[in-house]
Amino acid sequence: MLEINNQYTLMKRRIDAEVLKAYFADTLEAVVDTLPIHIIPRERDPNRCCVYKERAMVRYRIMALLGVDIDRDDDEYKPLARYVGEALSAEVQPLPTLTTITPGCSGCPDEQYRITDSCRGCFARPCLANCPKDAIVFTNGRARIVEERCIKCGKCLDVCPFHAVIHVPVPCEASCPVGAVHKNDEGFVEIDHEACIDCGHCAQSCPFGAIAERSSLIHVARMLKEKVPVVAMVAPAIEGQFPGSLAQIKAGLVALGFTKVVEVAEGAHVTALHEAREVAERMEAHAGFMTTSCCPAYMELVDRHIPSLSARRSTALSPMAYTARQCHDQMPDAKLVFIGPCIAKKVEARKIPSISMVITFAELAALFVARDIDIKEIAAQEASDSSLYADCRGFACPQGVSQSVLRRSDKPVQTMNINGVDKKTVRLMRSWEKRPPEVDLVEVMCCEGGCMAGPGVVVNPKIAMRLRQGADVARVGTIPLGGKKHV
Amino acid sequence: MEQKRISVKICVGTACFVQGGADLLLYEDFLDPELLGLCDIEGTSCLGGCKTDDPKWKAPLVEIAGVLYPNVTKQRLAELLREAVDA
Repeated sequence: MLEINNQYTLMKRRIDAEVLKAYFADTLEAVVDTLPIHIIPRERDPNRCCVYKERAMVRYRIMALLGVDIDRDDDEYKPLARYVGEALSAEVQPLPTLTTITPGCSGCPDEQYRITDSCRGCFARPCLANCPKDAIVFTNGRARIVEERCIKCGKCLDVCPFHAVIHVPVPCEASCPVGAVHKNDEGFVEIDHEACIDCGHCAQSCPFGAIAERSSLIHVARMLKEKVPVVAMVAPAIEGQFPGSLAQIKAGLVALGFTKVVEVAEGAHVTALHEAREVAERMEAHAGFMTTSCCPAYMELVDRHIPSLSARRSTALSPMAYTARQCHDQMPDAKLVFIGPCIAKKVEARKIPSISMVITFAELAALFVARDIDIKEIAAQEASDSSLYADCRGFACPQGVSQSVLRRSDKPVQTMNINGVDKKTVRLMRSWEKRPPEVDLVEVMCCEGGCMAGPGVVVNPKIAMRLRQGADVARVGTIPLGGKKHV
Repeated sequence: MEQKRISVKICVGTACFVQGGADLLLYEDFLDPELLGLCDIEGTSCLGGCKTDDPKWKAPLVEIAGVLYPNVTKQRLAELLREAVDA
């Protein structure tokens, strides 16, 4: 997985902000087709082959921002202005969420282990001795891997004393926990949407930015511009994503035009209560372990790939679902927008009719930049009483969900945490049918580091965590990260 | 001879913070301890440089010994501080 902020994600954020600026200035349709030139001027030292390719990729990024399914609806003859017109009339969250930008895909060579010039052709030959498939041969005193026999186990890499073996992965394929991303016959990336669980790991790991998520940002911008009543439901991970306190972030959202800001931690309290009760019932009935159900990518993982876990999942709704229910009861005419770190939430939200749209923190950041709202300087919103659910803000962090459940439970619940799902974890979870973990509650988070490290975050979790602990943003760099427990 | 300490201000206005400025706050992780020992680094309110339309003035901004630099990455910050210390 790449770092959260790299050349590509920063470029993405900049494009989002430029598009929004033009939208709020009522000039989007007039300028959108020249935005790629404005963003990539001729003098730029390009990161791709040339500025023209970079401009083409900016065009695709804008299409993804407008929610276009680039896989299917890429029409090179169609000006962006027409895509804008069409996008603004759309009403629902676009699905499938992930789309590929074939011209951006580098068509990386197949995964391979290769022996480099650093091979000394040593006497001990640990590579040869450890290869389970006799795939290592020696020619001219140097080791070589016979491609047809290699099963890519990596044992030779582990044992070579000269680090002469290198592993060249295909980043998107390697990051997908369920094998839904692969290269098509032409050698370019393709997503099998039947298998995809929308975790977004592939989009986070492609260094060429060839996998994009289709956004609803423009629709949310339209709601704000047209001043319809709209509630921002903010995920627990939002604290620490912007340079100010949670109360300041809430004030910033109101300044953007949201009618009301509701913390999804409120719904998380309901989820935790439900799970505490459910786990107690299971313990009494000796029914074995139960897993959490708040991670939407995990829910899809079970639905699509691990049916044996279906009945193991808590029947609790997600914090987003409970919060949406509550908001809808209180303000039935308002539109609901979920703002979180997650791509899979976009899929979950489509199943909940009261939720209009889902955007990520990265997209919210573009809104703040476009509207020139400075969270650091804004006056904090008056805090309401949050004592009931304040601890549920920890849902964003590994072990945070299980701890919230524990605090609401009067039994000694044994817990275990799955912090990040990859291919290996999927194999482990499949094995639970035969060898169930001997605990009462398994907390599952698909992203390693929890929602704080989700595909839609803005800030490195190390910094976000310190801000969540109350650090002043001006001094945050000097504060060492304390203990392991963060709530 | 006592070397003069260098004042470094990393902009943590929202525009800079979300466009890479937040990562610069991890300076303890990526800067040479020798440089750290010679610099006083802190976050600061919006330095204003990002508000122009000049494409060169892109977030994040950092002020080093009174001079404003745009488009600062971790690598660039390390270079700039090295230059400031050697000057």
